[in-house]
Amino acid sequence: MSKPILRARQARVIRGGVDVLHDVDLELHAGEVVAMLGPNGAGKSTLLAALSGLSPLRSGEIDVDGRVAAALQDSALASRSVDDNLRAALAWWGVPRAERGARAAAALGRMGASHLAARRATSLSGGEARRVHLARALALEPDVLLLDEPFAGLDAPTRAELLYDAASALRDSGRATLVVVHDRAEAWGLADRVVVMLAGRVEASGAPAELFARPPTAEVARFLGFSGAVREGDYTRLLRPQDVALDADGDLTAMVERAIPVEDGARLELVVPEGRFQAIAPLPGPPVGARVQVRLLGGVRFPRDGKPRQ
Amino acid sequence: MEFLLDGFKQALQLLRTGDPQVLEITVTTLQLAFWSTLLALVGGLPLGLALGIGSWRGRRPLLSLANAGMGLPPVVVGLVVALLLFRGAPLGNLNLLYTLNGVIVAQTLLALPLVVALTAAATQAVPAALLDQARAFGASSWQVGILALREARVGVFAATIAAIGSAFSEVGAVVLVGGNIQGESQTLASAVLVRVSSGEYGRAIALGLILMGIILLLAAILTVVQQRQSVPLLARSS
Repeated sequence: MSKPILRARQARVIRGGVDVLHDVDLELHAGEVVAMLGPNGAGKSTLLAALSGLSPLRSGEIDVDGRVAAALQDSALASRSVDDNLRAALAWWGVPRAERGARAAAALGRMGASHLAARRATSLSGGEARRVHLARALALEPDVLLLDEPFAGLDAPTRAELLYDAASALRDSGRATLVVVHDRAEAWGLADRVVVMLAGRVEASGAPAELFARPPTAEVARFLGFSGAVREGDYTRLLRPQDVALDADGDLTAMVERAIPVEDGARLELVVPEGRFQAIAPLPGPPVGARVQVRLLGGVRFPRDGKPRQ
Repeated sequence: MEFLLDGFKQALQLLRTGDPQVLEITVTTLQLAFWSTLLALVGGLPLGLALGIGSWRGRRPLLSLANAGMGLPPVVVGLVVALLLFRGAPLGNLNLLYTLNGVIVAQTLLALPLVVALTAAATQAVPAALLDQARAFGASSWQVGILALREARVGVFAATIAAIGSAFSEVGAVVLVGGNIQGESQTLASAVLVRVSSGEYGRAIALGLILMGIILLLAAILTVVQQRQSVPLLARSS
């Protein structure tokens, strides 16, 4: 792999006497889009602030071969026209006045927001403001682009539309992009690599398919949706709903503890003597208290004493 | 009531004929308002900005001081400035006592807390996320300050209107520091006081009408500009 554009080594940030980032190591390479996932309070925004120079490190170091721009979580547009917002950002970035108009127009075009150029930023809808916020960051053409939850607070159709446009707009062979995203679908849609942060640490990093299929630790697996668990000797087998099939010939008998209607069927909470897990059944699904036969199709196993996965 | 009517008639006559004395006092008043407001803005905007968006030790006590300064008694300020400007006093060699420049100094001191406190309040209301975002896009402290002032422009205009208004209506500091000398330091407000004392109600009313006219005109212009800068509620997104 090429030399990284950005490299964080043992980066540590303390806020209010509390460690919010613990010895984070992270590399970003030219041309790659990295998605960062983690629960609330995991330190994702703090890491972005540290990488962009807004938050000082207590220890460790960050080397950047170029310039870093960060689009923070709030769209934060000034009360002037969209075009003027982009021009202002370009002025802050140090772009000569003569180039600002063309770069602003090009960035708005890439994000499908050219029609918004003359609108006042205060009159934009949430989705439009997010689109302009992304265009403003792209216009700067930084060597490293950091995006903090660019799709936050949008309804599902608007988010899907923006994700679709952003997926191609963020691709740039010369730039490294780190995007903090809210859910796995966004990471799938955008990234070459996924980084998982838990409690201020980078706990996993890898290609989305690899990482989602075989998470390295039980904590990462649980965060990535392996919410069921059954004991198997010295191991715990973690399961996603898609790893459990209702099958009359299944070798495991489970009791339906809860049944919640969802979009594609009924989500069943199943209990066995060795643990509990979820499964999706076609509607109407078995009633609460019923006993059903199930077959476990996959999942990941971890030793119960915390040793490395087998 | 008749003397009041006569006063208005006399006032209209003075205004129609362009009385040179009235003109002179009006020009002095405009000079005082212009220079004291300009100086208060030059000193007060950066300080108000630093108090509004900064996070440094001692910010809160200074903010309290600025807020308290909005209620400074003009007579006390005038007295202190006059005492400092007396011959033999620390600033006596500046020869500003009983001059328009001396009055401008006193009025600047009165307008400064207004500009500082109102600018601080206005910039404090600018979303921190916007200023953080500007920094994340490489904005310097200077550029972040300009952005905050621009976003808080409605409040900054209010500070300017307050500073100008205080200059037009000031009497106590003008009399104490400027001596209320006609042709030198007498303003419309302090001239009204003199004319009333000497029973020249016509002149007093004329000067009062001019003063009110100027204040209303300037306030109207500044308010129109201010409201053009604000965002109509209906234009805001949901």
